[in-house]
Amino acid sequence: MLSKSTPLKIVKKEKQADKTYLFRLEGSGKKKIKFDYKIGQFYQVSVPGIGEAPISVCSFSEDFLEFNIRGVGDVTDKLLELEVGDNIWIRGPYGTSYPLDKLKGNNIMIIGGGTGIAPLRGALKYLEMHRADFERVHIFFGCRSPEEVLFKKDMHHWDRIFDLNLTVDKAPANYKGKVGLVTKIVEESGLDNRNKVVLICGPPIMMKFVIKTLESMGFHYDQIFLSHERRMKCGVGMCGHCMISGIYVCKDGPVFRYDKILGMHE
Amino acid sequence: MGKVLEKKRLKEFLSSVSKGAELIAPVKSDTLRFEIIKDFDDICLEGRPLFPVKKFFSPARHDIFKLNLADKNKAFEEVKNKIKPRVIFGGRLCDFNGLLRLDKLFLAKEFQDEYYKEAREKTLLIGINCVPAPSKYCFCESMNLDKYYDLFFHDLGDKYYIEAGSPKGESLILKLEDYDFSIPAIKCKKHLEKKDLSGFYDSPAWKDGSKKCLNCGKCTAHCTTCLCFDVIDEVDADLKKGKRFKEWDSCQFTNFTQVAGGFVFRKDYVAKFKHRIYHKLQYFRERFGMDMCTGCGRCIESCPRLIDFTETVNKLK
Repeated sequence: MLSKSTPLKIVKKEKQADKTYLFRLEGSGKKKIKFDYKIGQFYQVSVPGIGEAPISVCSFSEDFLEFNIRGVGDVTDKLLELEVGDNIWIRGPYGTSYPLDKLKGNNIMIIGGGTGIAPLRGALKYLEMHRADFERVHIFFGCRSPEEVLFKKDMHHWDRIFDLNLTVDKAPANYKGKVGLVTKIVEESGLDNRNKVVLICGPPIMMKFVIKTLESMGFHYDQIFLSHERRMKCGVGMCGHCMISGIYVCKDGPVFRYDKILGMHE
Repeated sequence: MGKVLEKKRLKEFLSSVSKGAELIAPVKSDTLRFEIIKDFDDICLEGRPLFPVKKFFSPARHDIFKLNLADKNKAFEEVKNKIKPRVIFGGRLCDFNGLLRLDKLFLAKEFQDEYYKEAREKTLLIGINCVPAPSKYCFCESMNLDKYYDLFFHDLGDKYYIEAGSPKGESLILKLEDYDFSIPAIKCKKHLEKKDLSGFYDSPAWKDGSKKCLNCGKCTAHCTTCLCFDVIDEVDADLKKGKRFKEWDSCQFTNFTQVAGGFVFRKDYVAKFKHRIYHKLQYFRERFGMDMCTGCGRCIESCPRLIDFTETVNKLK
């Protein structure tokens, strides 16, 4: 746990899509940092002079930390200007995680939309490392267009070792992959709810419709885990921004089992 | 059994307990507010100050880091707090009960607010009883407040009856004369009905109650227990140095729930009003077993449209 903002060195920066880069960070001093984050947790990432933003971890390793950063605000725009060798300041990890170690023996469905795929990438790494502990792994990812598909290298790998279903919202006529919303490919899979757990991350509107689709396929709310996004300033349940119905998304979330947050009021 | 102090000896008593410390008490200027006392005669105990004491524990704005933008490895330098020991005199039961509630969050087990912690440790709380109720807006009688203070004064005309609420307070009045008296409870004109709000979320009363709201945030700024804050970076003109500071924020502002890309989760005024009142009367209680409202009525008195949430809550059926 890094309770105070600590500089980490960028050791790799890889373009994923327009204004979207994957950063790999390691300890910047001589002393190696052992990371203890869990999948679905987030760090508060700082650019001195600009501000701080919560970013979900998108890797699973003790030796390094990866963030997938899309420039959508002051902090993330500035982060994209940083290069290998520069420092990024972080504190954390904070929040709850997808409880993969308690889900062993299940079939896992992973459903992600856009940058929401990032935190699930860590989950897939975990599943790969603990492959024998799980049954089948079905992935459903949706991106806006073929150019916006994140982690293209990983996608090929996941396609080989898991059941990968990828769709894009819009594509040119010559595009060979699937076109349509992620709810469509989930529905088309024809999967039932037997012995399954679903992990979701994506924009609120996408998650809402994915849950509706799963419901119509017979899934129960306690089979579904999802990650919520909110404005967060402190990350430790004080500043009040992320509160919904008395629940602090930063501390009690961001990952929730869906039946636990039913009926919450914005 | 408490103690008694002649009013003419008040100055002497306060000078003695605040030796080497700042004395903070209500002062009448444009409005009645707590200030650091320079002249003892400025102290005004008539009425309940419009601003609570929370600013001495969680200031409206204070620096947490100095930023060194030129130094890649030492960009953040922690700002050391310079909090002097102090004595707050003339705080009301609602003020000190407000601190009891702020403690729950700022002094939580897992994470503590350093500034708040130090300020709490260095401050002696001397309260004064409200007889009669100092404002037509207050309703603390409905809020089951605790006897939370180091010392508590009750006006007996030419003298004060004093009760201790902590060992520290007790030690300060050891030498005063014993006096047998029982402090009467505060009587308020306004009343808040105690009810479980969970079934009333969709009541039309919320819309009625909040339709005049301007989203100005005065209610939260004046509240004894509202503590939401923002964290902001500011860069000096030379672009070499800057600071990161904490500043009060308000759930009544639209950008309070805005995330990257501009999406706002809690946009309409009814939802914001409900969030404020549900946090006060339900969410906080579920977590900490007490209401997050101390019945001071400041949110009503400070509101430019005099929005009174007690009327809304009392109407819910």
